[in-house]
Amino acid sequence: MRRLSGYLFATPYLILFSAFLVAPLLYGLAVSLFRWDLLTTRPPTFVAAGNYAEAVADPYFRKALAVTLEFVALATPTTVALALLLAALLESLRRQTLYRAAFFVPTMLTISVAGILWRWFFNTDFGLLNSGLARFGVSVPWLTDTRFAMPSIVLMTLWWTVGGPTVILLAGLQNIPRQFLEAASIDGAGGFTRFRTITLPLLRPVLLFVVAMNVIGAFQVFGQTFIVTRGGPELATRVLVQYIYETAFNNYRMGYSAAMSWLLFAVIALVTAVLLGLLRER
Amino acid sequence: MMRRHAYRISTAKLGHAAREAAAAAIAVLFVLPILLLLVTAFKPDAEILHFHGLLPRAPTLVNFRRIFGSPEEIPIFRWLLNSMLISSSVTLLVLSVDSLAAYALARLDLPAKRLVFGLIVATLMVPGQILLVPVYLILNRLGWLDTPLALIVPAGSAAFGVFLLHQFFLTIPKELEDAARVDGCTRLGIFRHVILPLSRPALATLAIFTFIGSWNDFLGPLVFLDSVDKYTLPVGVALFQTSYYDNYGLTLAASAICTLPVLVIFLIFQRNIIRGIALTGLKE
Repeated sequence: MRRLSGYLFATPYLILFSAFLVAPLLYGLAVSLFRWDLLTTRPPTFVAAGNYAEAVADPYFRKALAVTLEFVALATPTTVALALLLAALLESLRRQTLYRAAFFVPTMLTISVAGILWRWFFNTDFGLLNSGLARFGVSVPWLTDTRFAMPSIVLMTLWWTVGGPTVILLAGLQNIPRQFLEAASIDGAGGFTRFRTITLPLLRPVLLFVVAMNVIGAFQVFGQTFIVTRGGPELATRVLVQYIYETAFNNYRMGYSAAMSWLLFAVIALVTAVLLGLLRER
Repeated sequence: MMRRHAYRISTAKLGHAAREAAAAAIAVLFVLPILLLLVTAFKPDAEILHFHGLLPRAPTLVNFRRIFGSPEEIPIFRWLLNSMLISSSVTLLVLSVDSLAAYALARLDLPAKRLVFGLIVATLMVPGQILLVPVYLILNRLGWLDTPLALIVPAGSAAFGVFLLHQFFLTIPKELEDAARVDGCTRLGIFRHVILPLSRPALATLAIFTFIGSWNDFLGPLVFLDSVDKYTLPVGVALFQTSYYDNYGLTLAASAICTLPVLVIFLIFQRNIIRGIALTGLKE
């Protein structure tokens, strides 16, 4: 009895955990099996896997999935590579605190502020980027051309999010014992060889963590595109979470929206598992 | 020999100087947008549409005056108040329920506690978007939509704080607890007088993360709030973008107001924040 009574301490949290995490997960799975339209008075009807079948055949879902994959494929490698570069640069310096803080500070901004800023930078007519490029007679349609919109979003994402992975990778680099690198130096290994043969293998667990977290986050991208491009032009940047959001809260199709969010979860889990498997083997 | 040695040192120095210069240049690129935000909020619209330089030629308070001067049209004080109320409440709630739960799971002899903790940690992998629809339906049934409760109470379910504090509580030596027990301390007494005072750094880290996370949350207020006067700052500021599309000065001034509190917190707690982030990567 006394052993069990210790759970009294955990009860407030466990109530919240059950009510707003476990229950919604199961509830959401159940909702995804129903046709559940809040705009009609029709009661929810059970459609089994109907919503999932609809998603697979829905061209808008496919388009949003393709756009999301494009974002992940562009954003994750560039973010991790830049973070690794910045972390290595920081690690080689005697004074790091100020620079580290500078790389990290954009992460502190809320997405609406970051988005408003970059909308201004990217503006074709009076944006700062094109003002600077005007000197060379160039004007880039950053957000208004279907080819440029996604890379622009990725550029902004790099600025906004690279600080977190940089800080984590820097901590990882600092954890590598100095003796290993010094020993390799004495054996005549140059900077690049040392990095490839010693730093990278020892950094692998941290790198794995960073890649996995970044992929999971990138699949759920929403704020950047929602604020900066609203998904346009011509749905070129409408990602899955935005489509899920619009299906639920503009069209009030709760069942279909829930089904798509479970499909997104499945894609994330699959990609993460494959990626971790690949990276772990080598 | 001597000369070669001296040459080597100077190239090493040169290399370091070059790397430092590169770091400084990149740092400027990262900070510049935020500086532009804070400075441009003091420019008249004409200067925003035709960029002349970083500093305003004719600094003006007109943007701020208009924002603060029309509370009916732009209830920015309400948004500020809402944001502060919500973020502080979330922080208090998370600190209290998470520390109690982490104490029980880390320090008490409970049946099946590994299983319970494992279940909690497993939810760290659940993507937030999957909870959107079901939590909305639950809040709707509770009648909490369009109230601050919709953003405060569900935030207490997140597993991150329990995990963080659990790992920290494990590192506190058992002897301290035993000594307190000999002195007649109850389990609650040990929690209050031994565990909590020793865990200030971890509690501070969790408080900062929770506050900033809640302050910057965008999707939550966007989905769960409806009336303009219930908005938090990020959603209110985003509204500007659509309503005052061609009035950049106004939008930037509102963004500056929204950003300032977070920047101040960052400047004060910079080390705590960055150490906290760094730790998440090093713990398996």
